[in-house]
Amino acid sequence: MQISINHLKRCDLIALSGRFDSSNAHELQAALRASMDAGVFRIVLDLKDVTFFGSAAIRALVQAYKECRRWNRGDVRLAAIPERIKEVLDLAGILPLVQIYDDAVLAVGSF
Amino acid sequence: MTSTQHEICVTSELANLANIGVFVSERARLSGMSEKQVFQVQMAVDEACTNAMVHAYQGDPEGEVRVCCYLEGNEFVVEVVDQGQVFDATAVPEPDLGKPIEDRDIGGLGLFFMRKLMDSVVFATPSEGGNQVIMRKRIGGRSS
Repeated sequence: MQISINHLKRCDLIALSGRFDSSNAHELQAALRASMDAGVFRIVLDLKDVTFFGSAAIRALVQAYKECRRWNRGDVRLAAIPERIKEVLDLAGILPLVQIYDDAVLAVGSF
Repeated sequence: MTSTQHEICVTSELANLANIGVFVSERARLSGMSEKQVFQVQMAVDEACTNAMVHAYQGDPEGEVRVCCYLEGNEFVVEVVDQGQVFDATAVPEPDLGKPIEDRDIGGLGLFFMRKLMDSVVFATPSEGGNQVIMRKRIGGRSS
């Protein structure tokens, strides 16, 4: 599991790779929290290299999504979601609610 | 007819979820499931094992979690067994996915995934204590 954070002009780009389950979802939560604590509420999550995204990771995503969107101050947008992960997010009812993009460049450009 | 059983037994450390994922995916793949089904089984088993580690053992990493896979007819069966505190899955409400995300309580998602991704999920409390979850999925069946 790897998390890399890029502070861009428009937003923070957080690229994830590997497996996100209950053992490490707190690290995703901490990365999202760090951006929000720094006053950045426009976040792109690049999921291109994610191989697994369990319910604990989804909870971290939803928590950040709610917090970023509060008072219309920002958004969490998803980029390059692998097909299997997309199915899981759809099942959880999240996919229709979030803005998704084919790649990180498009997602960053949307802000 | 039931096939040979394959088993992995790990301590209740959350770090072991990845090993369980590899084991279950391999067994599911060998059973002839599609990659989509393999992923669904891995997801359901991950959530069942997370429940055992987080709820039954309440985070104690010294417990034991046993995952056993076998074929029964055209079904891939996975049993997850722990010796932790009895966990009442029926007491966990299903998440209300109809609510706007801002108002949604995201708890209960693990059990929701298990029920959605497998064809059947049965919770049992063995006489020797702990919990047993028996999940079945038809090979090449729905969501294949």
